[in-house]
Amino acid sequence: MNSELNSRERVLRFFGKEEIDRVPVFSGMGNVTVHGLEKYSWKFADIHVEAHKMAGMAASTFQLFGFECAVVPFDMGVEAEALGAGVNFYSTHTDVVYPTISKKVAEKVEDLDIRVPSDLAKAGRIPLVTEAIRLLKEEVGSQVAIGAWVLGPYTLAGQLVDIGDLAKMAFKKTDMVHELLDTLAGVLIEISRIYREAGADYMTIREMGAGPDILSPRIFKTLIRPHLEQIFDAIESPKILHICGSTDSIIEEMALCGADGVSVDQKNNAAESRKKIGNELLLLGNFDPYGPMVQMDASQVGQVIKKCIDDGVDALWPGCDFWPDVKKENMEALIAAAQKYGKL
Amino acid sequence: MASEERTQEILKELRDAVVNYDEDKVVEWSNIAIDEGVDPFVATIDGLADGMIEVGDLYNKKEYFVPELLMCSDALYAGLDILKPAIEASGRKPEAKGSIVLGVVEGDVHDIGKNLIKMMFEVAGWTVYDLGKDVPLEKFLEEQLRTDCDIVGLSALMTTSMVSMPEIIKKLKEKNPNVRIMLGGAPITPEVVEKYGADGFAQSAGTAVDEAIRLIKMLKEEEMGK
Ligand code: B12
Repeated sequence: MNSELNSRERVLRFFGKEEIDRVPVFSGMGNVTVHGLEKYSWKFADIHVEAHKMAGMAASTFQLFGFECAVVPFDMGVEAEALGAGVNFYSTHTDVVYPTISKKVAEKVEDLDIRVPSDLAKAGRIPLVTEAIRLLKEEVGSQVAIGAWVLGPYTLAGQLVDIGDLAKMAFKKTDMVHELLDTLAGVLIEISRIYREAGADYMTIREMGAGPDILSPRIFKTLIRPHLEQIFDAIESPKILHICGSTDSIIEEMALCGADGVSVDQKNNAAESRKKIGNELLLLGNFDPYGPMVQMDASQVGQVIKKCIDDGVDALWPGCDFWPDVKKENMEALIAAAQKYGKL
Repeated sequence: MASEERTQEILKELRDAVVNYDEDKVVEWSNIAIDEGVDPFVATIDGLADGMIEVGDLYNKKEYFVPELLMCSDALYAGLDILKPAIEASGRKPEAKGSIVLGVVEGDVHDIGKNLIKMMFEVAGWTVYDLGKDVPLEKFLEEQLRTDCDIVGLSALMTTSMVSMPEIIKKLKEKNPNVRIMLGGAPITPEVVEKYGADGFAQSAGTAVDEAIRLIKMLKEEEMGK
């Protein structure tokens, strides 16, 4: 295999199941770092609301360290905002504070009357994210794969209404929640289509609010999986399903959702998961983006990465968004470890 | 007056109805308890609250999840709505166990865990002042001074929001050396508690209240020792 593959080729060939030289090291989730912010002297709060800053930051981790992707957006308010929720960007803060939902669309599920905008491409910050994808395509599109993500329908529902009420209704008024998730799945399919059309190379669906830290595996199977299937049936490959936290008890269910790969975090026993899901489906993971990258000494990163590979992951991929104050040396150690242990 | 045997049966029905998150049954048996002369205080503590403790166990064993817990708690409150007025009418004042100011620190909206903790304290008869989520640090201080609570419980689910805790802990202790501070949330470990100068910690809703009681007892012993 010639070793001239650039990062983009490596990741796209990886998804296409073509031969590659080594395991790619990338993510489907946010991976901005404070080093990128420093490089441009930008405020964290601004990178969610200005397309060129969003694009610049998305590319910066690749440019500074060789992390093999450029992913947008960074916050979990984009889809909810397009459906009428309010978002707090903490614009007066100078440090890293992630945007949050400041105003729900309704308190209770039964009061939620979702009006899907007739043109989602123009709703909320979707045009902004789309513009950032276009800019990325133009500026770094030949060197690096561009990823985009949306929340899963249940997690999105938790951004729109009180999450406690949603959880209870999942039991008490299951049909009502099914109907809601069905509508939201439709919205997410359309947003995914818009992102892909703008130039995103792969999509990640993050259904972290429906994992076994919150819902039982039984509910995952009967209420959550059907709507994830609905989405994965309708969107183009490559497409990844991500759930963080404890996922050992639902990994087989995750595998049945129709994605090309499943993404899990460090709480998942990846070696076991590999056995459970077989070799056909991609397993992406599962290093902790906090401990090893922010806290540990750079010399320890290699072992963490080696373990992921020994456990059988197909790509080195963090369990969640990168924590922005990762250490430079640790980022370098991560890439070096991928090169050292990831040879194929 | 219900016989001892009948009382036990009523208490069991109340417990089971809470565990099975059956609001209607809880209401039905709370009314039966009152009609048949069961002490409403006993019905609350040995019936409803006992059921909730079992629910906490089921949650720790991963047989119950967040929705089940919330529904059990609704069932419990439905019973309280009936039994509480009866307790008050009986002239008996349930002794207040303690008071806690609770909130998720600024920049963090993860409040599912905090809400479960709140519920467990309420079940145990504590007065809870819930500040909600994304709570500015000064707010904890203000609320502690306003309520003179025994415990301040800080919750953080993100490592970035967690790091703002030492500052608030320091300020709280400066203003009121007797307040006890408990931390919780996924990234919190006993080491973090120690390093930040807090007093206690609970991994889960099941153990939080016991830990708070332990802290208050320790404080009282210290004061007696002086
Ligand atoms: C649900 C969830 C969300 C929901 C939150 C909804 C809500 N209203 O709470 C949403 C989708 C909004 C969300 C958003 C984000 N999230 Co989030 N989220 C989670 C998730 C999946 C579950 C958390 C949870 O509720 N657990 C269940 C509860 C019951 O457990 P618990 O909170 O630990 O509480 C128990 C104990 O800790 C204890 N306890 C809790 N509080 C207290 C307090 C006291 C006093 C005591 C004694 C005990 C105690 O008792 C509780 C009951 O047993 C976790 C991952 C995971 N699976 O754990 C990520 C996670 C917490 N999120 C994470 C991130 C990064 C984010 C975002 C920044 C993502 C983004 N790009 O924007 C945003 C944050 C925005 C912000 N500024 O806050 C990361 C944090 C990483 C880190 N190192 O800090 C996690 C860990 C995911 C991961 N694998 O990395 N998230």
